Amino acid sequence: MSVRDDILGRLRRQLGRTDSTTLAARERVEATLALRQTGPRAAADALLDRFIERARAMISSVDRCATEAEVPAHCADWLRGHGLPTTVVVVPALAALDWAGAGLEARVGAATGDDLVGVTGCFRAIAETGTLMLCSGPQSPAVNSLLPETHIAVVPRQHIVADMEAAWAEARRELSAWPRAVNFVSGPSRTADIEQTIVLGAHGPYRVHLLIVG
Amino acid sequence: MVAPGSRGEVALFVTCLVDLMRPSIAFSALKLIEAAGYVAVVPEAQTCCGQPGYNSGDTAAARALARKFIAEFERFPYIVAPSGSCAGTVRTHYPDLFANEPEWRARAEALAAKTFELTQFLVDVAGVTEVPGDFSGSVTYHDSCSGLRELGVKQQPRTLLDRMPGVKRIEMRECEECCGFGGLFSVKYPDISGAIVQRKCDAIRGSGAYAVALGDLGCMMNIEGRLRRNGDELTQVIHIAELLAGDVGGQG
Amino acid sequence: MHFVSRVRQRLDDPELQRNLKRTRGRNAASRAAAVAAFPDFDAVRARATEIRASVLRDLDVWLERFEQKAIERGATVLWARDGDHACDLIIDIARRHGVRTVVKSKSMVSEEAGLNAALEAAGIRPVETDLGEYILQINDNEPPSHIIMPVIHKSKEQVSELFARVHGTAPKTDIEELTHEARAVLRPEFLGADMGLSGGNFLVAETGSVAIVTNEGNGRLCTTLPRVHVALTGIEKVIPTLEDLATLLRILPRSATGQAITNYVSMLTGPKQAGDADGPEHMYFVLVDGGRADLLGSEFEAMLRCIRCGACMNHCPVYQTIGGHSYGWVYPGPMGSVLTPLYQGLDKAMDLPHAATLCNQCGVVCPVSIPLPELMRTLREKQVERGLRPWSERIATKLWAWVAARPTLYALGTRVAVRYLRWLADGRDRIQVMGVAPGWTAQRDFPAPAAKTFRELYAERRRGGGQ
Ligand code: SF4
Repeated sequence: MSVRDDILGRLRRQLGRTDSTTLAARERVEATLALRQTGPRAAADALLDRFIERARAMISSVDRCATEAEVPAHCADWLRGHGLPTTVVVVPALAALDWAGAGLEARVGAATGDDLVGVTGCFRAIAETGTLMLCSGPQSPAVNSLLPETHIAVVPRQHIVADMEAAWAEARRELSAWPRAVNFVSGPSRTADIEQTIVLGAHGPYRVHLLIVG
Repeated sequence: MVAPGSRGEVALFVTCLVDLMRPSIAFSALKLIEAAGYVAVVPEAQTCCGQPGYNSGDTAAARALARKFIAEFERFPYIVAPSGSCAGTVRTHYPDLFANEPEWRARAEALAAKTFELTQFLVDVAGVTEVPGDFSGSVTYHDSCSGLRELGVKQQPRTLLDRMPGVKRIEMRECEECCGFGGLFSVKYPDISGAIVQRKCDAIRGSGAYAVALGDLGCMMNIEGRLRRNGDELTQVIHIAELLAGDVGGQG
Repeated sequence: MHFVSRVRQRLDDPELQRNLKRTRGRNAASRAAAVAAFPDFDAVRARATEIRASVLRDLDVWLERFEQKAIERGATVLWARDGDHACDLIIDIARRHGVRTVVKSKSMVSEEAGLNAALEAAGIRPVETDLGEYILQINDNEPPSHIIMPVIHKSKEQVSELFARVHGTAPKTDIEELTHEARAVLRPEFLGADMGLSGGNFLVAETGSVAIVTNEGNGRLCTTLPRVHVALTGIEKVIPTLEDLATLLRILPRSATGQAITNYVSMLTGPKQAGDADGPEHMYFVLVDGGRADLLGSEFEAMLRCIRCGACMNHCPVYQTIGGHSYGWVYPGPMGSVLTPLYQGLDKAMDLPHAATLCNQCGVVCPVSIPLPELMRTLREKQVERGLRPWSERIATKLWAWVAARPTLYALGTRVAVRYLRWLADGRDRIQVMGVAPGWTAQRDFPAPAAKTFRELYAERRRGGGQ
């Protein structure tokens, strides 16, 4: 007998399964999957304000601009204002913006270990916790929000949803193929392993800047 | 003021430790129950609720004593113990002991529903607003684990203490932390127990209170024993029943 | 070494005691603040408990369902009987893909299995990348002392000395500098490794995914950069839907560190897809039994709900006194006192279920409502049933119960006991050395009893003699 069958067999024995209870269990499982019951959820009002407040609480910085066309200039100003490099790696989804026009040296594609600033979009943003939801794919490699020391994320205002449940619902509706990686990012990477003292930039970005558009 | 004895009978479960070590606690409890307008009865054949056996894993022994306890106490409208851990045993663990004996389980549940820790009874059931004792001095209250987490005894003793004009109530830090008694734990793992009770003593002394009051004699002996071993002869360790009944001296 | 000697050693270690004191109560305070700021906490806790309990009721079917989805998405699902078997499977995977270096993010199952030692013996180099786990690995593979804060027992000075020795750098005691030094050492490891090994906080049946929560981002790096990703978890980790994940993520970080959410939550589903610029080419799940199946349907089933948040140890007076290493196996604190005897054998951990005051701080804070003290008590019961307790203890409880069932004898016994104790006290109000309970008087005085038992005094009062 394979180990798999042995383990499953023991689970069934422990549960005292018979054919009919197994059938009932399968029905329960399908019903649970169909029902997708939610637990207590976050409030669905004041999404923008809440998102900004929570994102800042997670030590993301937040800025706003009116249109997508202004994004490169905002990024450039912010980077210069913080004395950060103006060479950036941009996800393919944002390739069409005029990065060079804003004085940024932009490369479109997946980040490598040498890139210092990564610019990404986001699939959704979650007001409850100030969190970005990033789906990996050809247009949005996961490494761009991970390897660079600075991560700038463009957040269309209408992409801000109340909570993770709302974000999952929209992912199910909009995505034809489920992404390999869905990453929820709430501020810069951090650790408190030594003496429970929080230090930013453990392995991922030292800083996360959110630019809300609209 | 309710007429004495007008509110029916309350059976006092003295608890084995009080019987053996500090009878005065039981007398104080009787005084408080009577002052609340009840007739206090002490069933004579009572001994121990079975908790030591239960916590040692000797369920058979615990079950035998639980049967004895149920038979003795179930005829009373209320059962009161000056101990959160003994009342907790009856209220939360007796029904579990009889998981496979429906008849005994029903009796255990009926008994559990009318069993109370003393201050819980006085405040939640009797609605007492005045206590017979007076006491002058600062008091900090230690929340013993079973009373707090099995029975929800938290506000009741404080409410009653606040009724005593001479009491200045002070909260120690971490008043809900275990004192490290744990029944046989204190004897089986003295080193660990000693380190935990040391922290409790530090918290009590840190509060600056003249006395620490609490609702369980086991924890009391642990705390008092450690304070004295540390050379602290001044901090008073007082059972809440004695304090409320006015059976202990205050500060100056 | 015996539990009691391990404890003695830890209590006598001033450095450890200083380190324990520094963090004692801090996590509990963070959790309390997070709970106070989140009005739905109790409702979420109830729902989280229900989710975990409902999965266990149908664990066989949920696992099949998870496996089917994971396979559909191109992952390989392997089943391991126990830790050793899991090591064999992982070494096989590594050999098949020509792996020389494995970067690891935190996995308690890997600790259970002793994976690092097994990999090294097979000529494969494991590199721990969680800062805490990394510190332990370079300190001669020291075991963790906490399930989410593995080096809670260490001071920055100890870390500094270790880094200076191992990295050959100048000693530094600034925690930020230490952290960034580790980052610099580990970054090339991520970029060069052939395989990433992660644990898994949850397995989502709906999508066949593993969900991983981290703050450092090392979990993301381990599961994104190397060619091969292996997720190693216990078979109990399945949850039904993405909605359930959302619920559990509201309670796990709050219970663990008081965070509303961890910095990263990654949901990984299968290997790299057509057109993807990144991600592993191969993804494996290794699902470990290791004693879990036997708990299902038993009186210990509730323990399988555990989501490894660490709240129980953060609130345990015993853990906070003796530290995680005293417990002797990978899981410390209340959850360890239940799991160790269950996974390692009742007779291998005789003390753990007893070394607890049953104060129930742990049960109150557990996010999935596991009645930990009740489970420890049930383990005590099992020890008694199997005749594992010392005979003196068994006789003592039996005798106590026998006497307590006989009121007249009992009354006589207590009268004698009181007089004996008074004689020991010898006119003082306390006893300082007591032969029958040396453990008591080793640590504290034993207050002397009153002159007579309540029973005697009450009888006198009734006769009109007393009061
Ligand atoms: S037993 Fe409960 S509190 Fe302890 S780690 Fe598991 S889930 Fe957390």
